[in-house]
Amino acid sequence: MEPYELSLAAAADAIRARRLSPVELVDSVLDRIEEAEPHLGAYVTVTAEQARRAAAYAEQEAARGRWRGPLHGIPMGLKDLIDVAGMATTASSRVRAEHRATADSTVAARLGAAGAILLGKTHTHEFAFGLTTPQTRNAWDRGRVAGGSSGGSAVAVASGTATFALGTDTGGSIRVPAALNGVVGLKPTYGLVPRHGVTSLSWSLDHVGPITRTVEDAALVLATLGGHDPRDPASLSVPAADYRPGADTDLTGLRVGLPRSYYFDHVHPQVETAVRNAIGQLEALGAQLVEVDIPMTRYIRATQWGLMVPEAGAYHEAGLRTVPELYQEDVRILLEASEMMSAGDYLRAQRSRTLMRAEWSRMLEEVDVIAAPGVPMTAVGAAEETVTWPDGTIESVSDAYVRLCAPANITGVPALTVPVGHDAAGMPIGMQLLGRPLGEPTLLRVGHAYEQTQPARALATAA
Amino acid sequence: MSAIELTPAEAARWAARAGLVLPAERHAAVAAVANHIQCVVAVLRELDFADVPPASAYRAGEEKHDGAV
Repeated sequence: MEPYELSLAAAADAIRARRLSPVELVDSVLDRIEEAEPHLGAYVTVTAEQARRAAAYAEQEAARGRWRGPLHGIPMGLKDLIDVAGMATTASSRVRAEHRATADSTVAARLGAAGAILLGKTHTHEFAFGLTTPQTRNAWDRGRVAGGSSGGSAVAVASGTATFALGTDTGGSIRVPAALNGVVGLKPTYGLVPRHGVTSLSWSLDHVGPITRTVEDAALVLATLGGHDPRDPASLSVPAADYRPGADTDLTGLRVGLPRSYYFDHVHPQVETAVRNAIGQLEALGAQLVEVDIPMTRYIRATQWGLMVPEAGAYHEAGLRTVPELYQEDVRILLEASEMMSAGDYLRAQRSRTLMRAEWSRMLEEVDVIAAPGVPMTAVGAAEETVTWPDGTIESVSDAYVRLCAPANITGVPALTVPVGHDAAGMPIGMQLLGRPLGEPTLLRVGHAYEQTQPARALATAA
Repeated sequence: MSAIELTPAEAARWAARAGLVLPAERHAAVAAVANHIQCVVAVLRELDFADVPPASAYRAGEEKHDGAV
């Protein structure tokens, strides 16, 4: 096994035991980038020389006996919405061609202090306003979409060109590409991870979180990211925590909510089968399955759009008036149309969110987690714009990918996607676990227990 | 097109009222997207909100400035 193939936890153990040096690990991942990146397009920028210098410094620290923790010397990619001092935050947009960040975002600073090594900035669907990331190709089939908007981060982790990465999630943008590329994605509780220095799509829906190869890896990264920062007005005052799940896979006493509605409607049969099999595995580990009715399903899409569209329009108000031609057409027209939404539309969505949060809170008193598909179908071909369901319903690809993710953005509950198999074409399928606010330890425990029952996953093979 | 949908000319006028001048060749496409969005969000009018406040209502007492990176 090459160092670039190691999980974060395995690499951290090897670095701590001095069986692997950060220099060897970073060189291995940079070699892998050289090999795979021309075929995948996951990165906007690769900072190879800085990464090698940082690795040499991390190695010197390790030689002196200073170990910063499990991220010491671990190479990572950051979605290019996340500020790193001195680098452009391009948002994968021509609008940001001249951008230069003057300071680190909170998450970049925390990861740097923990010893993580930046490999480069990864592609996003322009300004995170889309679900495909057209610059990047799926790590399992280059003719299919990467998913988005954190497509570059997910493809990098899946293909071995980053040991872990960060994404952002406003309507599924961590979970969708993670599911479509066969890796783990965690959208934390709203406000758990500070967003200071991260370009916004929609302030009341935006989250930052890890994309990793295993659930345990996600827990290790989350422990570094969490914690209050007053510069993000949504930041929660919760103490730093150790999220690493224990080795015990016994789920006796855990109540797993099985949705009777919504999450299995208009879902591809192979996705449904794989997710139901995985839920059966949770039951075999001792969990009790409890059927639940998802509340207010008729209003999920309307609430998501009613929040996101005007907030995105407000963020881009100046850009749309000065450099509209620099936006891609799919993003530009949504921003233009956002100008026609009324304050009443927006307030109805905010009031609907109040109702939905209360209903979800009641539902989550009955169960500890909810298990469901993360996305209703695997990665579609790059040119496909719609999906037709067996009852004749036609849905846009973007709407389909957002549909099962949006409730966690509206309500702020944490959501984890875990790979649970592949379809007949070999494309990955993800199971989504949703929990109570600040219920990350439970989600990570359940996801990790499931992973322990499965063979270790190999890296993606498209490059 | 239903009677309540924006025409291309109306979309251009609404945008102009918001300070955004749309090129003529974009009026029809922007109106179509705006009408689609309106169609999606209009379903929220069915809800009985009674005295429910918007989720954005804030709590002044919770802002603390002792955070650290």
